[in-house]
Amino acid sequence: MYNAIISEHFMSPRNIGELEMPDERIKIGNPICGDTIHVGIELKEDLIFDIKYKAYGCAASIATASIFSEYVKGKTLQQIRDTPLADKETMLGELEPNQMHCYEILLELFHSMCLVKAV
Amino acid sequence: MSTYSNVLKLGSELGIDPVGSIIASAKSVFRLEADVQNEIKLQLIKDNFTFHYENNALYKKVCMEKQVSPEDIQSTCDLVKIPTIAIAKFKDVNAHLLLTKPITELQHELRSTGTSGIPSISRRDEQTLTRSVHSIYAMFREMFGFFGGGAIFLAPSAEDMPEMGLVKLVNMFSGLLDSSRFFVHDSSFDPQSVLDQLEKWKHVHTRHIIGPPFLVERLVQYAAGQQTPIKLDRQSKIITLGGWKSFTGREIDRLEFNRETAAVFGIQEDQVRDMFGLVETNFMAIDCEEHAKHVPPWVHFSVRDMDHPEREAAPGEPGRLAVYDPSSLAYPGFIMTEDLVYVSECGCGRHGQTVHYMYRIKGAEIGCCAINLEKYMSDKEARVTQCPIG
Repeated sequence: MYNAIISEHFMSPRNIGELEMPDERIKIGNPICGDTIHVGIELKEDLIFDIKYKAYGCAASIATASIFSEYVKGKTLQQIRDTPLADKETMLGELEPNQMHCYEILLELFHSMCLVKAV
Repeated sequence: MSTYSNVLKLGSELGIDPVGSIIASAKSVFRLEADVQNEIKLQLIKDNFTFHYENNALYKKVCMEKQVSPEDIQSTCDLVKIPTIAIAKFKDVNAHLLLTKPITELQHELRSTGTSGIPSISRRDEQTLTRSVHSIYAMFREMFGFFGGGAIFLAPSAEDMPEMGLVKLVNMFSGLLDSSRFFVHDSSFDPQSVLDQLEKWKHVHTRHIIGPPFLVERLVQYAAGQQTPIKLDRQSKIITLGGWKSFTGREIDRLEFNRETAAVFGIQEDQVRDMFGLVETNFMAIDCEEHAKHVPPWVHFSVRDMDHPEREAAPGEPGRLAVYDPSSLAYPGFIMTEDLVYVSECGCGRHGQTVHYMYRIKGAEIGCCAINLEKYMSDKEARVTQCPIG
């Protein structure tokens, strides 16, 4: 049911938690299925210095949040904006049909991050 | 060791799933005396506890802190010692720590979402899933008896609400039917189309209606206002699930509901049945003809003292429900719920526990799939009927 990438990130999720004083907050929610991700970001100018999240939902959506957080941490906002679509398409590995909504979640996370302004 | 314990143990050694074999024998096990059922339950639950104790490091740690091990479970009175998992843990960001089985063995995720919007997710491996399917069908067959007919599903389809516990359960009915239709689309419900379908199925199928009480109530109210009444069939069942309390706090009166529903559709009140279950467990407790909600005889309901949850309440007294479901292998199916209930017996010929649901305990989230659905439909209806300003 879960590919190796999803399995690894679900059982050992990175960056779970909450920042005390985030510079930015992102909230992703799907009211139909209930997958919800709350992200806090700490910026140093345009660099994602730290990121923490809380994810509620299916294993694949929790893994998506972990994968995204690992990818963006330590990158600049411009680097994140410049991420090729082809890279995003392979980040989660091969998904089952009922997990494809997680790819939408990943794109939404990227989109929200692209709207973040440097401090 | 009792006869039943010996048989279960021997069966297990021969590769026969003891839980599965009891589930498959639901009809006869229901008719065993309660003390015999308790022997069977004790063996199944003890074996299941042993499995999780030996294979779930976090759960074992909890057991050791509470100084309880499988050797301490010798009678049904000892079941109360088995540590439970608070149902809220299934919403936790670290819910993966509940798992006894590795992620590579998981086959399915099911969710329930209350009005908070945070989903409770339960994950199942192959064997738990198989037991779960058998358990639910065993109860459907025992309590409803049908294997045919056409059903109106007053619920969204899985395309509209994927992986939702209520939808999954309603969908399972279709395996016992000749025909079925979903009548909640895009969070909308048109009662006239339901009546049209019931009319089409007249003299074709025995007709059933299945859905949450708030939607059945709406249908009944609509049908009551029509000139031409619809009289359902001798074997029809109107089956509700999802609870009797609205997200607004309004409670549907159960007795009045049964009376009115039966009157409007021209059936007997004993054809109106309710079910109770939790997405985190693998069974449904279902109304018999006497409207007593029978707990499957392989599951144990432990009603806890509200002030001292490590102790059981006096027999027949209300308390907080702790469920011991031995069918779960993916995670310990020993769940402390947020529900206030009391248990009793029934004279219908089936022995064992019957559960009377009272309400959610104070401070608990008011929610389940049905309440979330009702809120979603209500929000949508409010948007449709509000006039634009300006």
